[in-house]
Amino acid sequence: MLEKTGIATREQIEKLLPSPGRRAEGPYAVMECFQKIPCNPCSTSCAFHAILPMDDINDIPSVTPDKCTGCGACAAVCPGLAIFIIDESKGGGTGTVTLPYEFRPLPGIGETVKAVNRAGEVVGDAVVTRVLPGKKTKTPLVTIEVPLSLVHEVRFIRCEAHQEEDPSVADTLREIPAPPQTADIGEQDDEVVICRCEGVTLREIRDLIREGYTTVDEIKRISRAGMGPCQARTCGPLIAAEIARMTGEPLGSVAPSAHRAPVKPLPIEFFLGGDTE
Amino acid sequence: MMYETDLVVIGGGPAGLMAANTAAGAGASVLLLERDRHLGGQLIKQTHKFFGSEKQHASERGIDIAALLGDELKSLEDRVTVWTHATAVGLYDDGVITVDYDGTYRKVRPKRIVAATGASEKFLSFPNNDLPGIYGAGAVQTMMNVYGLRPGKRVLMIGAGNIGLIVSYQLLQAGVSVAAVVEGLPQIGGYAVHASKIRRAGVPILTSHTIVRADGKESVESAVIAEIGSDWKVVRGSEQTIPCDVICISVGLTPLTELLWQAGCEMRYIPALGGYVPARSDRLETTVPGIYVAGDAAGIEEASAAMVEGHLAGLEAALSLGCGGDGCEEERADCLKQLSSLRSGPTAEKIRAGLSCAHGCQTPKRRDEHA
Amino acid sequence: MENRRITDHPILDFSEGEVIPFTFDGKPMEGRSGDTIASALHANGVKVLGYHFKTKRPRGFYCAIGNCSSCLMVVNGQSNVRTCTEPLLPGMKVETQIDRGVPDDV
Ligand SMILES: Cc1cc2nc3c(=O)[nH]c(=O)nc-3n(C[C@H](O)[C@H](O)[C@H](O)COP(=O)(O)OP(=O)(O)OC[C@H]3O[C@@H](n4cnc5c(N)ncnc54)[C@H](O)[C@@H]3O)c2cc1C
Ligand code: SF4
Ligand code: SF4
Ligand code: FES
Repeated sequence: MLEKTGIATREQIEKLLPSPGRRAEGPYAVMECFQKIPCNPCSTSCAFHAILPMDDINDIPSVTPDKCTGCGACAAVCPGLAIFIIDESKGGGTGTVTLPYEFRPLPGIGETVKAVNRAGEVVGDAVVTRVLPGKKTKTPLVTIEVPLSLVHEVRFIRCEAHQEEDPSVADTLREIPAPPQTADIGEQDDEVVICRCEGVTLREIRDLIREGYTTVDEIKRISRAGMGPCQARTCGPLIAAEIARMTGEPLGSVAPSAHRAPVKPLPIEFFLGGDTE
Repeated sequence: MMYETDLVVIGGGPAGLMAANTAAGAGASVLLLERDRHLGGQLIKQTHKFFGSEKQHASERGIDIAALLGDELKSLEDRVTVWTHATAVGLYDDGVITVDYDGTYRKVRPKRIVAATGASEKFLSFPNNDLPGIYGAGAVQTMMNVYGLRPGKRVLMIGAGNIGLIVSYQLLQAGVSVAAVVEGLPQIGGYAVHASKIRRAGVPILTSHTIVRADGKESVESAVIAEIGSDWKVVRGSEQTIPCDVICISVGLTPLTELLWQAGCEMRYIPALGGYVPARSDRLETTVPGIYVAGDAAGIEEASAAMVEGHLAGLEAALSLGCGGDGCEEERADCLKQLSSLRSGPTAEKIRAGLSCAHGCQTPKRRDEHA
Repeated sequence: MENRRITDHPILDFSEGEVIPFTFDGKPMEGRSGDTIASALHANGVKVLGYHFKTKRPRGFYCAIGNCSSCLMVVNGQSNVRTCTEPLLPGMKVETQIDRGVPDDV
C-alpha cells in the first residue's frame, strides 16, 4: 500500500503506538518512517535520548516511549516531515495532534480548520490550540484538537483560505469521464517530436532505422536530430531507446552519439575573437 | 594566453564546491568553472530539508547548504579563482580545457581536473510533447524557487521518483495545485516519506499509469493519462482526461559526461547510475590520468553522496600534486566510510550494484607520478 | 490576468524588486530585477515564445537553464537569443520568433 499510494496502513501505524498506559500519561512522538533510508537527524536532535542512536544511518528510528516527553524537537527537524506528536491524556473525549505544516498562511490559535487524513480526505473539523512558527527550522508545528477517535487518523490540515483553490483532487479525478478510446496509439506516436531543436519526429527516426541506420550518430547526421543547440542531450537517449526497441539490441550496445568539442554550439566569431587578456 | 593552475573543477554544484574547497584547503591553486551565473548547482532550487547525517548537513535545506559551501569557498579566496557564467566547452587529450567565459574564449591548462558537471534531465515522447506548458522538473523549480513564479495553476506531474515527489510538494507550497502524480512503475520510486507528504495534502499518486498525450491549442489545456499493464501497454478503456495547464516531466536524470567522452575516458553503460558513466578507481580517478569525477556526473545519486565524492576527488587531486599534510590518510578513510554508510541501505541497492560495475578500473600511471 | 508572482512563501523570501519596463511584440510589459526575459514574459502570462522553423508549432521554454533552445526569441532585433538565461534589461524589445528568426546575423 505505502509503496503504491504513499498511505501507511492501519497495521503499520498500530505497531508504532506505545502501550495504552503510556498513551494515557502524556504526549509522545510517532515516527511514520517505515523505510530504511540514509537519514538520522531525529535521533541526533532528541535531548532526552528517547530515540535509539543509529549505528547505521539507514536504521529505522526507534523511540523509547518512557523517555519521550513529546517536546516536538524531532518533528521540527525531520526532513521527511514524518513525525507527529500525539497527546491522548487530556480527557474529555478529545486529544491533540501536532503536525509539521510548511504552508502559508499559517492558521491562528483558536481557528477552526479542516482535519485531513493520510489520504488527503477531510474527516472533520479541528481547532488550532498552538502554533510554533519554526523561526529557525522554517518548519512550523501546528497543534490541533480532534476527537480521540481521530488522533491516529488526522495528519494534515486545510485552512479556510485554501479551500476553494484546492478541492480534494481525488474527487475531481473521479468526476471526469474517460474520453472515447484513443484511436490507435501506435499511429499517433509517429508524429511525436523527438528532437525539439530541429523538429524531428519519431516517424523520421523510425524510417531511418528501417533503412538500416542503427547508430545515434548516423541518424543525427541524416535527420539533423541532435544537431541543434542542445547537442542531443534531450533527444539522444530517446533515439538510442528507439534503436534498441526496433533492433532488439540491448540499450547498452547501441553506440551513443560521439562527443566532440564544443559541448554547446558557439558562433564562429567566438573562436576568431581569440583569447582576451 | 593560457591560464595555468593546479586544478580545474568543472561545475559549481555540491560536488564541485566540495572538491574546490578541499583541494584549496590542502594548498592547491584551484579554478572553479560554473556555467550558471550562480554557484550551487541543483542546491539553489532545493527548499526542502535534506536527508543524511550531520556531516552532510542533514536537515538543512539545499539552499542553505549552497550558501554554507559558498562561504567556505570565500574564505579560501587566495587560492581559489571562480569563474561563473563560464562553460567548459572542450576538453582535449593534451589536458587543455576551452572555456566560454561570459562570451569570451579562454584556454586553461591545469595539472588535474575534477569533472563535477552534474546531470541533465531525461525527456519523454508522447504526442504534443512540445506544447508550451510542458516543462522539465528543473525548469519548474527554477521558475518557482529562483524567479519566484508559479509555473501555472494546475500541474500534472509525470514521475514519482524523489524529484517528482519533491517538486510536487514545492508546487503545493507555492500555492499551485497538483492534479496527480503519474508513475509508470507499479510502485513509487522515491522515498515513502516524500510520497506521504503530498498524498496527505490531497495529491493522488497513480502508479502503473502513463501519460498518453497532451492536448491544447497554443499551450497545454489537458492531458490524457491511462493505466498500463505489466507489458507497459495501455489498458484500453482506462484513459482519463486531466485538465491542467502545466505538465511537468520528471522521469530521471542522466549524467552529463560529454567532456569526459571528449577527453577519451573509458565510458560504461550502467543503467543503475543513469546511463553512461566513466569507469574509475575507488578514489574517483578515471582512465585518463589526472581526470577525476564526482557527484551526479559519476552516477545519479544524492547531494549527500555528491559532497563526499567531491571532497574525496579534491583531496586525491591535491595529494597527487604533493599537497596536503598530516591527517590526509584519515580524511580519505573518513570519506570512504561516509560513502559506504550512505550507500549501505536497501534503497541504495541499485547504486551499489551500479558502482561495482563502474569501479575497478586501472588508471594508467601518470607521466609525472610521484614515486 | 492570473498573478504568477509568489508573494508569500513558507521558506523563501521574494522581495518586490525594481520594475523593469520592456515590450513584447510592441506591447508594454513590466518585469522585475532578477528576471530573465523568459521569466518576465512568464510573469506576464506569455506562454508562446516562438514558432518552430520546421514544424511551425508553438514553443515555450522547456529547460529554463539554457540547454534546449526552446526559448529562442528576437531581442532588440537579434534572433536566436536564449531568453531563459538572458537577463532582462530596461527597454528591451522582445519579439516572437518565427522560423529561424530575422536574417540579421547571417
Ligand atoms: C528536485 C530535486 C530534489 C533533490 N533532493 C535531494 C535531497 O533531498 N537530498 C539529496 O541529498 N539530494 C537531493 N537531490 C539531488 C542533488 O541535488 C544532486 O544529487 C546534487 O546536486 C548533485 O551534485 P553535483 O554537484 O554532482 O551536480 P549539480 O548540483 O547538478 O551541479 C553541477 C553544476 O555543474 C555545472 N556545469 C555543468 N556542465 C558544465 C560545464 N560544461 N562547464 C561549467 N559548468 C558546468 C552546472 O551548471 C551545475 O551548476 C535532489 C535533486 C533534485 C533535482
Ligand atoms: S518528541 Fe522530544 S523527547 Fe520525544 S523523541 Fe522527539 S525530541 Fe525526543
Ligand atoms: S529524521 Fe525523519 S525521515 Fe529521517 S530517519 Fe528520522 S523520522 Fe525518518
Ligand atoms: S528553455 Fe531550454 S534553452 Fe531556454
